[in-house]
Amino acid sequence: MIRMPLRPLARVLDARARGENPDAIERENIRRRHYEMHDRFRRRSEGRILLLGAFFLAAFAAVGARLGALALSEPREPRTASAAGVGIVAQRADIVDRRGRILATNIGTYSLYAQPPLMVDKAAAAQALAGIFPDLDERDLLSKFSGKRKFLWVRKKLSPEQMQAVHDIGDPGLLFGPREMRLYPNGRLAAHVLGGASFGREGVSAAEVIGVAGVERALDDTLRDPANGGRPLALSLDLTVQAATRRVLEGGMKLMNARGATAVLMDVHTGEVIALVSLPDFDPNDRPRRSLGGDPADNPLFNRAVQGVYELGSTYKIFAAAQALDLGLASPDTMIDTRGPLRWGRYRIRDFHDYGDRLSLTDVIVKSSNVGIARVAQQIGAGRQQAFLKSLGLFEPLPLEMVEAKGSRPLLPAKWSEISTMTVSYGHGISASPVHLAAAYATLVNGGTRVRPTLLRQDGPQQGERVVTPETSRQIRHMLRQVVVRGTASFGEVAGYEVGGKTGTADKPKPTGGYYDDKVIATFASIFPASDPRYVLVVTLDEPVETSGPKPRRTAGWTAVPVAAEIIRRVAPLLDLRPRIEPLRPPAVTLTGN
Amino acid sequence: MSYLEYNVKRAPAGLRKLLYLNWALIVLVATVSSVGFLMLYAVAGGSLTPWVEPQMKRFALGMGAMLFIAMVPIWFWRNMAGVAYGASLLLLILVEIIGDVGMGARRWIDLGFIRLQPSEMAKITMVMMLAAYYDWLDIRKVSRPFWVLVPLVIILLPTFLVLRQPDLGTAILLVAGGGIVMFLAGVSLWYFGALGALGIALVTAVFQSRGTSWQLLKDYQYRRIDTFLDPSIDPLGQGYHITQSKIALGSGGWSGRGFMQGTQTRLNFLPEKHTDFIFTTLAEDFGFIGGMVLLGLYLLILGFCFYTGLKTRDRFASLATLGIAATFFLFFAVNMSMVMGLAPVVGVPLPLVSYGGSAMLVLLAAFGLVQSANVHRPR
Repeated sequence: MIRMPLRPLARVLDARARGENPDAIERENIRRRHYEMHDRFRRRSEGRILLLGAFFLAAFAAVGARLGALALSEPREPRTASAAGVGIVAQRADIVDRRGRILATNIGTYSLYAQPPLMVDKAAAAQALAGIFPDLDERDLLSKFSGKRKFLWVRKKLSPEQMQAVHDIGDPGLLFGPREMRLYPNGRLAAHVLGGASFGREGVSAAEVIGVAGVERALDDTLRDPANGGRPLALSLDLTVQAATRRVLEGGMKLMNARGATAVLMDVHTGEVIALVSLPDFDPNDRPRRSLGGDPADNPLFNRAVQGVYELGSTYKIFAAAQALDLGLASPDTMIDTRGPLRWGRYRIRDFHDYGDRLSLTDVIVKSSNVGIARVAQQIGAGRQQAFLKSLGLFEPLPLEMVEAKGSRPLLPAKWSEISTMTVSYGHGISASPVHLAAAYATLVNGGTRVRPTLLRQDGPQQGERVVTPETSRQIRHMLRQVVVRGTASFGEVAGYEVGGKTGTADKPKPTGGYYDDKVIATFASIFPASDPRYVLVVTLDEPVETSGPKPRRTAGWTAVPVAAEIIRRVAPLLDLRPRIEPLRPPAVTLTGN
Repeated sequence: MSYLEYNVKRAPAGLRKLLYLNWALIVLVATVSSVGFLMLYAVAGGSLTPWVEPQMKRFALGMGAMLFIAMVPIWFWRNMAGVAYGASLLLLILVEIIGDVGMGARRWIDLGFIRLQPSEMAKITMVMMLAAYYDWLDIRKVSRPFWVLVPLVIILLPTFLVLRQPDLGTAILLVAGGGIVMFLAGVSLWYFGALGALGIALVTAVFQSRGTSWQLLKDYQYRRIDTFLDPSIDPLGQGYHITQSKIALGSGGWSGRGFMQGTQTRLNFLPEKHTDFIFTTLAEDFGFIGGMVLLGLYLLILGFCFYTGLKTRDRFASLATLGIAATFFLFFAVNMSMVMGLAPVVGVPLPLVSYGGSAMLVLLAAFGLVQSANVHRPR
């Protein structure tokens, strides 16, 4: 670079010649050089300024282009596929009756939850929600919404109307999650068998439905198993029969002023429970909470047919009679000493009426003589009696497919003394559930093979082990038939269906020990048709009183038997049983043509 | 051009200064601020409270400050640059000690009549300090290593204090703004090249260090980076802002849904809708056209700043004006990129529009400096 000298000699000399100060030339040149540098630098910085300006313009253009692209984009709300609730299988198989009619199914509904951080007007939302759901408290809701929680459930199930109402609040913090919900379309029918279901693990987009009682709980794994492909579970119940049974039993319970009632209808060959009613009952769609106080037996959730382990009284007499026949100790016509009272130590066994000195074995059953059957039991002995009752399934809990079956363990005498042997023969000092009794009767009358009760539909008769010989079974059927024809259960006759059966009236035990005088459990275990039994029906009434007569009557013959007869009258046609009615004799008048 | 000619030019004095104010800039600033009032009114659901009224008061206060600053000769402000810079540093340290915590960061200092955000102040005072420094410095020394180190310290001191608050957005603005002033001052491009290389190396290091014991950033900052790169990772959490604002922008479409008709913003889908994300309200209500109009206004403001910066021969005035323009641009650019998902959510307001007193006052004061530079340009 050629730099101009600050003091060019020629100019300095010129200036000197002109008498000027040559320093001015130097100052002028310094200034000029300074300005040149300055201008050069300015050009450079102006270039940089323009560069920056261009960059800013480019940035604006980029922002503008992006804005245009976004403006033209179709907005889409993000969906999180991986939200909570993944892996929760909500599929649950339906439950149907033996003819495929729905007992329990699923419907899609929605749950309501709140995300307070997203809420616009918490106070208004709380007020509106309290208006839609009267059981929610507005202040409580508001405090929950205002708290630190980012998520809370408001309702687990919504009806479509409620959902629309909540939707109309319009708050973005109130959200709905799909739910599979268990529905029992028949309401109270078979409530105790089905039990109920509620939600298990819950996510926003799905929730597990788990059984909490009954079949739903016992077969929870099967119902939820995806391998079954949603195949419905077929129960042994018959919905129509169940409905008829419940209806008659409810009427009978009221008529007999009973606290509770239960009826079990069982197929004697397959062990299938066709109907099982326990009153009072409940609606499984709105399962009541387990109450803490009071008698558990008064709770509607209590299943009297299974969990109700009662002393079943004289219905047990048939077991001693059957064993005596089977062992060859007696025949139906063997005369039994019935002189009472029978003293044994400090115990005295008495009959309801005095039946005279002696009765045939059949008549002991027909008239229900405690003394007579106790003498028979003495002959059998404690060991053989225990073995026989055990072979009838009266010692173990029921093998039923419901969780409550665990609670059906029979109560047995602590020490099986000789007096126990005698009292057990007429059903005192031993307790079992009505389903136990039904299964034992079925075993005795079906030809003598063991029947185990079941709630699932079976394809054919059970091949149980032999308990009594077919001949004994036939004699038992005859005896039971005679009880209805001319004995304690004469109100049990239903024209055409050959009802047989045995009554039992047991005093209720006091919680403090001993027995009530005026509170009984009345039971009628019946079979029909007696000549070739198809079904056994056990009806048990809790504290019945029949007051149509001058004195209140509590015995089973006046209470349980008429109710059972009415049930049979109603359900037998539903069970495809043809009434056997003697054809009417043709009228004696002969029409002649003239 | 002779020395005498140059001296003939004079800066206007007295009330004549008012004639030399850049009135167009004032009108533009007022227009943009009015857009802000309108949007705050809409966000509040058609109400002057809680945002419009205080914002208007601050705007009036800021306009007064701007006129006052504009009337004072620019060389006075050059002399005050050191004091202002020192004062803002002091306030930043004070905030560290007695500041109020808001939104998880210690940013505010309560002066009784106003809650001040010293980090906003620092953006402008730092630019002033740098301009004054380069005005003082011999031009030939600009690229010497020692004289490059000094402005770096000037930039990094407030940056460090701001990062401690923590306020990533402001820190980015400070560094970028300071860097632009250094660039304009003529620092050799080699330094910028080296810095760029260093930056790339640093970014690599930051990502390499992730999950190791010497991790350089906090986890939430990494997550922000992740969601920036792909907001769909976590659309309901970290990516929520971006996703929702994109939806709002898309929902506005070409001409918008109409004033106060936007659903995304009105129904509280968007957080921070009155501060950092106010642009989404505008874009949803007035669509692409409304957004572009605001962009145009900003561009005009920047244009006037550039005009002043190019016209003045005073080095301080030129650097300060352009530095302020750069800061203004950075405010806008970072905010827009954030809202449109071009940059991570770092928390930078939209200048003059977002609700916020400190930013408003500081920006108007800065425009006062620009005006002062314009008025006191010898002509």
